[in-house]
Amino acid sequence: MSRPAAIVGIGQTKHKKRRDDVSLPGLVREAAQRALDDAELGWTDIDAVVLGKAPDPFEGVMMPELSMADALGAVGKPIMRVHTAGSVGGSTALVATHLVQTGIHDRVLTVAYEKQAEGNAQWGLAGGRSGGMGAGGIFAPWMRSYMARAGAPEHIGWMVAVKDRRNAAKNPYAHLQMPNLTIDEVKDSPMLWDPIHWHESCPSSDGACAMVITTEDGAARSPHPPAWVLGTAMRSELGTFPGRDPVRPQAGVECAHLVYEAAGIRDPRQQVDIAELYVPFSWYEPMWLEGHDIAGPGEGWRMVESGETQIDGSFPVNPSGGVLSSNPIGASGMLRFAETALQVRGRAGEHQVPDATVGLAQAYGGAAQYFAMWVVGSTLDAVDQKR
Amino acid sequence: MTPAATEPDDDNSVKMMDYFMQLEYREPLCPVVRRYADQLLEGRLIGHQCPSCGLVYLPPRGYCPICVVETTDADETVLSDRGTVTNYTVVTPVQYYGQHETEPFVRASVTLDGGNATMNLQDLVDVPVDEVRVGMRVAAVWKPKGERSVADISNRSWGSAEGCIDGWRPTGEPDAPAEQFLGKATF
Repeated sequence: MSRPAAIVGIGQTKHKKRRDDVSLPGLVREAAQRALDDAELGWTDIDAVVLGKAPDPFEGVMMPELSMADALGAVGKPIMRVHTAGSVGGSTALVATHLVQTGIHDRVLTVAYEKQAEGNAQWGLAGGRSGGMGAGGIFAPWMRSYMARAGAPEHIGWMVAVKDRRNAAKNPYAHLQMPNLTIDEVKDSPMLWDPIHWHESCPSSDGACAMVITTEDGAARSPHPPAWVLGTAMRSELGTFPGRDPVRPQAGVECAHLVYEAAGIRDPRQQVDIAELYVPFSWYEPMWLEGHDIAGPGEGWRMVESGETQIDGSFPVNPSGGVLSSNPIGASGMLRFAETALQVRGRAGEHQVPDATVGLAQAYGGAAQYFAMWVVGSTLDAVDQKR
Repeated sequence: MTPAATEPDDDNSVKMMDYFMQLEYREPLCPVVRRYADQLLEGRLIGHQCPSCGLVYLPPRGYCPICVVETTDADETVLSDRGTVTNYTVVTPVQYYGQHETEPFVRASVTLDGGNATMNLQDLVDVPVDEVRVGMRVAAVWKPKGERSVADISNRSWGSAEGCIDGWRPTGEPDAPAEQFLGKATF
């Protein structure tokens, strides 16, 4: 039987193109220190550290969890590294949560990062060979397929790009600050991977995110309201097999249904106040709305078009600005998880969605084959309050 | 690293230095992939057809992960080297160390004739990028026998024939109906 887990500390760095002012250990420590400060805890209060980042070739620093133990106060403590490609920030937070839920540790620090400017992710993804197409090149044909399947007009992608950048302008930690970006500017920006324009693509960022996850007792001592973990789920599938549907991967469908069931959610569109979905390219917003059965087939893009996913809409998606505005790859998933916790704690600042009590976070990775999701609430019965 | 390289600048920024390293290793191919590679050198594309569900795996894996059954030489099937473009994108190359592409290029999914086997991320040759379309009929362009190499075929191969074919060239046949493929991406 598992016990409740709560998020009592959240920290992140300012996400930027280059953080030349800090080393890799300095970057993760900055986020971790902020999470500890938020929880009003010290390094010695932490029982274990769970670290996540994307593939090592992105910075060329192999097995960084070994050399970062000092910076994360983990010497003599259990430290573990999680690796599930782009979804890693999410699954790292889930591993930390499970360590608390299962009674193994009482206070776990979880940290995820990427320092993209110290390496070259395009080189890493291409395995150092020519002809690399980046993640966008892999995903682009699936977006074309989604558009054909759902009958989605091309301006939907442009709308998502504008929405997320305007949200990011309310988030001081977000990398891209483009409060005045227009649909025309998105449409007229260079085509990177048809149908993805420059402004429909995530940036390359340096940044880190950290959280302190603890027990019910720990939450009672928290100086600020905790966020409660109401459900967790992870699922994966092979990246390629005959008949695989990469537009609506089965693992993504199953992961969503698992997390809804765990949290007692019957109708996510009605019972979730705010969602942070991993949207590195604009089209993934409607694709995940449908791929996680928040919207029915062909309804995801209509939610975008009608403004439902805007910060003041009925189902706000990525009020933080999302991956489209900040992409320290390894941290990008954890930022989704942390932002939902900030929202239900009422501590999201200018991008706070009023009265948000239930949040849904998702991260995906690889060839859209790894999924991690959680539902957090302002109270343990936050979902029940919405029946 | 010299001590000077580690000293912070006046603005307290961390001193960065480029370091290029290379690590080369070879791995023996597992028997089913070895046979796939050997057949590529002979100019043949082979797969394993699952005896349970009938799906074709290219390259063969020696098992069907969906049905969780073993596949063997008895399940081997020679696949057509002609097919239809069923999905694609035009990639604007990002410049990084080792990138030689400078102009937009196409990467396509080619579904082979006579079954469900699809090769992804394929290069198309002798066709301008703006003429590529779903439904286009194509055929593999094999390298001359002596010039084929399977050095880039690995146990983790996703169905590459790189090193043995130069890509896929339009055959000039009438297109297959695009509606048959649009919205039905596979990978």
